[in-house]
Amino acid sequence: MIFRFLQFRRFSHRLFVLFVGLLGAALATTYFVVTSTNESNARENARANLELAARLVDSAIKQRIEFLVGSAKVMTGDYAFKQTFSDGDARTLSSALVSFTGRVGAPVITLYDPDGKLLANSDHAMDNENAGPFAFLIQQATEKDLTQHSGFSYLKGQLHVLVVVPFYAPYPNIFGWFGLAFPLDREFVGKISAISGVELTYVNVEDPDQPRVLATTLPVAGTAPTARAAAAAKRAREARELRPETEMVALPEERYVTLIRFQEMLAEDYIALVLQRPPTELASARDLENAIKLTSLLALAVATLLVLFIARSVSQPVVALVGHTQRIARGDYVVRNQDYRADELGRLSLAFDDMARGLAERDRVRDLLDKNVSPEVAAALLRDGAILGGQEREVTILFADLRGFTTLSEKLTPQELLTLLNRYLDRMSAAIEAHGGVIDKFIGDAIMALFGAPVAQADAADRALAAALAMEKALVQLNAELAAEGIAPLAIGVGVNTARVVAGNIGSARRLNYSVIGDGVNVASRLQSLTRTADYRTNVITSAATLAALREPTKFTARPLGTVPVKGRAEPVEIFAVE
Amino acid sequence: MPRFLLSLSFALLLTAARLTAAAVVQVHVTDAKQSSVADAVVSLIPLDAAPVFTPSTTPVVVAQQGQEFEPYVTVIVPGTRVNFPNQDNIRHQVYSLSKTKPFEIPLYGPGTEQSLLFERPGIVALGCNIHDWMAAYIVIVATPYYLKTATDGMARLVDLPPGRYRLEVWHPRLSGEANREVTIAAGDTAQQSITVILKPDRRIRRAPDGAGGGYK
Ligand SMILES: [Cu+2]
Repeated sequence: MIFRFLQFRRFSHRLFVLFVGLLGAALATTYFVVTSTNESNARENARANLELAARLVDSAIKQRIEFLVGSAKVMTGDYAFKQTFSDGDARTLSSALVSFTGRVGAPVITLYDPDGKLLANSDHAMDNENAGPFAFLIQQATEKDLTQHSGFSYLKGQLHVLVVVPFYAPYPNIFGWFGLAFPLDREFVGKISAISGVELTYVNVEDPDQPRVLATTLPVAGTAPTARAAAAAKRAREARELRPETEMVALPEERYVTLIRFQEMLAEDYIALVLQRPPTELASARDLENAIKLTSLLALAVATLLVLFIARSVSQPVVALVGHTQRIARGDYVVRNQDYRADELGRLSLAFDDMARGLAERDRVRDLLDKNVSPEVAAALLRDGAILGGQEREVTILFADLRGFTTLSEKLTPQELLTLLNRYLDRMSAAIEAHGGVIDKFIGDAIMALFGAPVAQADAADRALAAALAMEKALVQLNAELAAEGIAPLAIGVGVNTARVVAGNIGSARRLNYSVIGDGVNVASRLQSLTRTADYRTNVITSAATLAALREPTKFTARPLGTVPVKGRAEPVEIFAVE
Repeated sequence: MPRFLLSLSFALLLTAARLTAAAVVQVHVTDAKQSSVADAVVSLIPLDAAPVFTPSTTPVVVAQQGQEFEPYVTVIVPGTRVNFPNQDNIRHQVYSLSKTKPFEIPLYGPGTEQSLLFERPGIVALGCNIHDWMAAYIVIVATPYYLKTATDGMARLVDLPPGRYRLEVWHPRLSGEANREVTIAAGDTAQQSITVILKPDRRIRRAPDGAGGGYK
């Protein structure tokens, strides 16, 4: 199937598909490998950056906790405070805590007894209900015997990090707990964002269908981070696993790389921290992709032009050669190629022209022959390089004539007559050619044949007599057939003479005939006519010259018939009947 | 009637025995790993009669020495006066926030001796506002039969009248309570082994002396 598809009618198409196809495939592969690697690298980098920012958040929170723990420890060392605490003066304690908020920069400072009961606070809004998360932390710390504890929770509806620190008197006797808190607000995320260049958003995903932004660095609290956080929270809930997620988020104006981290809260809930970064790494990756795309297309265009040029340079001479071949097939040998190039095609053109020249020569020769002789003879002539010019040579000439043809022609219709004649001539010709004779010409119902010309034959005389006897035999066969058809038998007379004659092309410039001329031809004709003489009782008469030329005289039986005068000859010719 | 006499005579006999043959209880305090526990306060509180105890006439001393309290654990009976002599060349500010005896002795210098009377039974955790690592305990027990275990975890209580007692063990790191009722026979030498569960030993690591003075 594919091979059929690849069978192109034009070489240039094949070259184009192969070359441009291969190059295109190579470029496409390179493009996809490079871009996918690039993209995944950029993604990995972006993710690493986001994770760094996430660790920065963790670190900042941890530091803040440590600072508050340290501050609480210092506060417990305050004698006056210790005294007040021991006295149980809640009002004084509360006002002392307000003073501490100024000292340590924690907006919320509260004080609890060892059982987690609120004793005093720096903020009137921090009532027992709001102090619940602190009590929870104190309970956990007591159970686990911790020297400090912290967690995420809402205080007065706002996201806070809570820290509880025991109040020793002295260590390790716990006489109470400090509860401190700081908010994860816009100011906090803003500071991290300023350092890391990452946009941060805390999202309440308690109800994933109604996510709520708690704090964000984004100028407008976009719906995208909340939606992403909500979707991630849903997935997390289904998977029952709080796994950080990285994904590409398409905001209308630009793409962000997003990392979502979940943060567990004290109250068996969690919030999502959405970290987002403009995809600067991805932008550079896109630039590279575009550069590769452009270069690839350029390379393909250049390759296409190159292929077309090469294909043209190859196919044009080929097409020209095809044209020439077709013209030669029609017999026009004059065409010649031009611009012989140095490559194989040039050599082919050169060889082609040589061939055309050779064909022209050969055809010219064959043309001359074809007008006169049978194809075999023509081929033999060409093969042996016979010279067709006038030449004197010894030739045996055979003349055959149909006797009583005139009487026959009166009985038959012209059509029947011609059919019968051709039938007769065909048999005779076959007999002659079977013995290597060349039909020189048909003269009405008479045949003139040559042996030893145009190609010399050493046994020309033997062949001629053998042919004469074969003709007699062939006629007997034909007569048998004719008798069956109710036609009267035919009779034949054959004269054979060997003589030196002039052989060559005879005729006008337009029409040439290869033939022989000379006295010997007339003698052969005369011998043929002598077969009509009833006294001789023979169909085949030959001359002494022929008998003398025989190579194997014992093969034939020659009966002397005496001598006869021949017109134009001083000496009479000695004749023999051949049987 | 003869039955009554019998009982009386028995009681007289017992009294005679008590006068003549006081018992001994040897208590061994171990922790969960079967190691001997030192500085454990072992006390036997009589259950059959109100305990009779007399505070020491010479004051008990909890000294501040080398920026530590010495000793770490002190056992007294109610009504005992404790002196807090500062034997260092720096000042201290000893306090307690314990409900048994909250107090604060404002900064006092070397050579000064402060004195306080401890009237209620209970535990008093001592601290110093200047030195966070300084910590000591005064245990006030309402019985004459008490002792602190030595390094081998042993406390040998002698001259015990026969009868029922509550054997109590306290330690600064004690988790929960450790007590049991014991009956002591006249002239007996009883062995008592008590295993206590202790919290991990967590004390504030004392910072190296002298800010720029380097280490010893
Ligand atoms: Cu001190």
